[in-house]
Amino acid sequence: MKQFFTIRHILCLFLLAAVIFAGVATYYKIEYWGFSFKPHERTDVWTVDAHISFEPTGEPIEVSLSTPRIGDEYKILSEDAVAAGYEVEKDDKNHRMIMKSKALKEKQDVYYRIMLYDNEDTIGKVRDHKKPKVQEITYVDEQEKVMVKELWKLADKVEGSSSAEKIIKLLNQEVPEPEVDSFLPVHKNQKIMAEKIIYLLAAKKIPARIVRGVKLGEKRRAVPADLMLEVYEGSKWMIYNINTGTVGLPKDFVVFQRGGVSLLDVAGGTHSQVRFSVIKSVVSSFKMAGRRAKYENSHLFDYTIYNLPMHEQNTLKWLMIFPLGILLVVLMRNVIGISTMGTFTPMLVAMSLVKTGFFPGLICFGLIILLGLLIRTWLTKLNLLLVPRISAVVIFVILIMQILTIIGYQFDFKIAASAVFFPIIITAWIIERACITWEEEGAKNATKQIITTSIVAVVTYMVISSDYIRHIMFAFNEWNFVILIIVMLLGTYTGYRLTELKRFAPLMKDK
Amino acid sequence: MLSLFEFFSRSKKLRAAGVLGMNARNYNVISKNNRRNLYPLVDDKVKTKTLANSIDINTPKMIGVIEHQYEVGDFMKIVANHAEFVVKPAHGSQGKGVLVIKNYADNVFTTASGKKLGFKEVYQHISNILSGLYSLGGQYDVALIEELVHFSDAFQNFSYQGIPDVRVIVYKGYPAMAMMRLATKESEGRANLHQGAVGVGLDMRTGRAINAVSHNMPIGIHPDTNADLMTLQVPFWREHLLIGAQAYEMTGLGYLGADIVLDKNRGPMMLELNARPGLAIQIANGKGLRNSLKKIDKRYPRGLSAQERVDYVLNNG
Repeated sequence: MKQFFTIRHILCLFLLAAVIFAGVATYYKIEYWGFSFKPHERTDVWTVDAHISFEPTGEPIEVSLSTPRIGDEYKILSEDAVAAGYEVEKDDKNHRMIMKSKALKEKQDVYYRIMLYDNEDTIGKVRDHKKPKVQEITYVDEQEKVMVKELWKLADKVEGSSSAEKIIKLLNQEVPEPEVDSFLPVHKNQKIMAEKIIYLLAAKKIPARIVRGVKLGEKRRAVPADLMLEVYEGSKWMIYNINTGTVGLPKDFVVFQRGGVSLLDVAGGTHSQVRFSVIKSVVSSFKMAGRRAKYENSHLFDYTIYNLPMHEQNTLKWLMIFPLGILLVVLMRNVIGISTMGTFTPMLVAMSLVKTGFFPGLICFGLIILLGLLIRTWLTKLNLLLVPRISAVVIFVILIMQILTIIGYQFDFKIAASAVFFPIIITAWIIERACITWEEEGAKNATKQIITTSIVAVVTYMVISSDYIRHIMFAFNEWNFVILIIVMLLGTYTGYRLTELKRFAPLMKDK
Repeated sequence: MLSLFEFFSRSKKLRAAGVLGMNARNYNVISKNNRRNLYPLVDDKVKTKTLANSIDINTPKMIGVIEHQYEVGDFMKIVANHAEFVVKPAHGSQGKGVLVIKNYADNVFTTASGKKLGFKEVYQHISNILSGLYSLGGQYDVALIEELVHFSDAFQNFSYQGIPDVRVIVYKGYPAMAMMRLATKESEGRANLHQGAVGVGLDMRTGRAINAVSHNMPIGIHPDTNADLMTLQVPFWREHLLIGAQAYEMTGLGYLGADIVLDKNRGPMMLELNARPGLAIQIANGKGLRNSLKKIDKRYPRGLSAQERVDYVLNNG
């Protein structure tokens, strides 16, 4: 039996561990920090301000506001209360924000602010599915009982898929039936409508309740709470628009309170009211991730690259693509078997192409190499020593880049302007090597080497130029561990290289 | 595009033929048999030569060494009594930077290809060597001046200019595979197969040609001289193998390539050693190296002297 734990076995174990680690980290980032595989991901963040005002009565004050629940239609990014001098307390069990103060005299303004963002998974689903009690209906008189019956008879003729929808539509008809007119009061508002619908549904033993919340929308300032109706159908609560009978929670509705509990209770105050203002902002997912982590008290985020200043982040974003480029180089050399001028030269050229754009970069690079080769051929005649000669080539490359950049700027040639992005020393060495190969092994070999190097650079470019791949390598940088182990595993690859299949073809033997 | 299936099926065929690939050579053979600290012994031709001479292995005689730029002026003094010599970089590879002077008289240097050079040009060449133009990795180098080899008449028709040499792969002290490299017009007198030189696989027991290739394809006659390559027979075969076997003790390298030239007057001489010999020798021999290495690993006895090992190969190889 061979050695049980060979290097390859150990590395395979490492690979497994790295994949598991990267998988878990990726899951965590998506689930808890809201990272996405898509680049440039932006999220709408809604800031809802609840402005509570009231006049103190001279007794100790206790303000209690019903608040949205975590994990409902929207996810909460942050929430806090702005109430100077108040003792603020969050009642997580009942989802209420409680602000207490000693007796005060003047008119009071306190604020509750919550930042929310879409939670698309749970939109339209209402979680509380316990069967509620139906409140017994008590009719004022016999006449009303008849009227309710009449109304339901009419409602049955209205188009609709449920009793609730039918009755809402009946009550909201543009030209109301006389029965409806006499049933509803002259001055009706949303609250009265909702109560009347609940009353009518109760007659059919269908539980229903009022839902208060805020419709999210731009430029909504100081508006009262919006009302909706929740009706218990089958085994779950369905939400209805009071005016249209449309079923389902609109995408832009945030529930603050539902059922019997009050939206706002103020003890020690009168004339209390709550007004909502909504502001929409667009935030990059990385920025939001930090806020989410803070809200969930996760300090892990502080030690990630996403918490760094933007400048550092951009530099690291650039570095994070290197491991993938290196993996490609290893694959090209040890598995495919292409030999290029300088091990990492094609990768560095590819990185420059990402910055310059493909065609402008390629043409510009070709131009630099061509001019460089011409100058280098002339330098050959001068018989300079190696180090001064390569130094001269470096300086020439810098001068060529300068001239191209100036020309590019003056004549608005995008192609020439990209000259400045190419690595100077690498470019100089390509010129030097090409020239020596030219002298020693002929023009054919030199051209062949330049072309294979370019092909490898282009292939590398194809991979790393993708916004998706660059985003993923940055957002899910834990996969670099996996790449590291793969590169190390390739270091133990003893199989044939692709090019060797051709090279040794005359030796092939059929079994 | 090669499909994955084809990749595996072709790999299988190569494995069946016992072909040693580059990755397997580096990982399984070189890294396990050649300690890194031994490399300088073979990468520096001056060191190799001194070491070889100390255990009586024949090499072309050293005329002089130029280590620093200021010594280049001494060049004329060094070669004063030599009409023919070779200037080469101590750390060169693949014959790069080798200047062969066939005739030196009246301050005119005539090269192997008949080009006439003045002192200035030779001076420049030595400067280039010192600045590392031809060395591995471009580090500073020294210029080695040694005697010209007069290759044996046995190979007169087999090589177009240049010096034909024998490459012996030595594994754990046993010569495992050998080939002769013959220069062609295309290779410009150099003996590198990828530059167009002809490779002739040699039988390990007799030193007779068994196969010949040019650019990976089997051939029967030399493309320039039309000599029948299959009639090639290396004289002093045992001495050739012995130089290779002794290189093992001399360097401690478990896997090495010894380049040996046959001088008309002085017999087989070690030209240089290589710690990473290439794999083209398999194509020249028309067979894989892996099987030979495996055989040596499994069946060949340990603890023999260089002489005994060569005898073992000659009788059992």
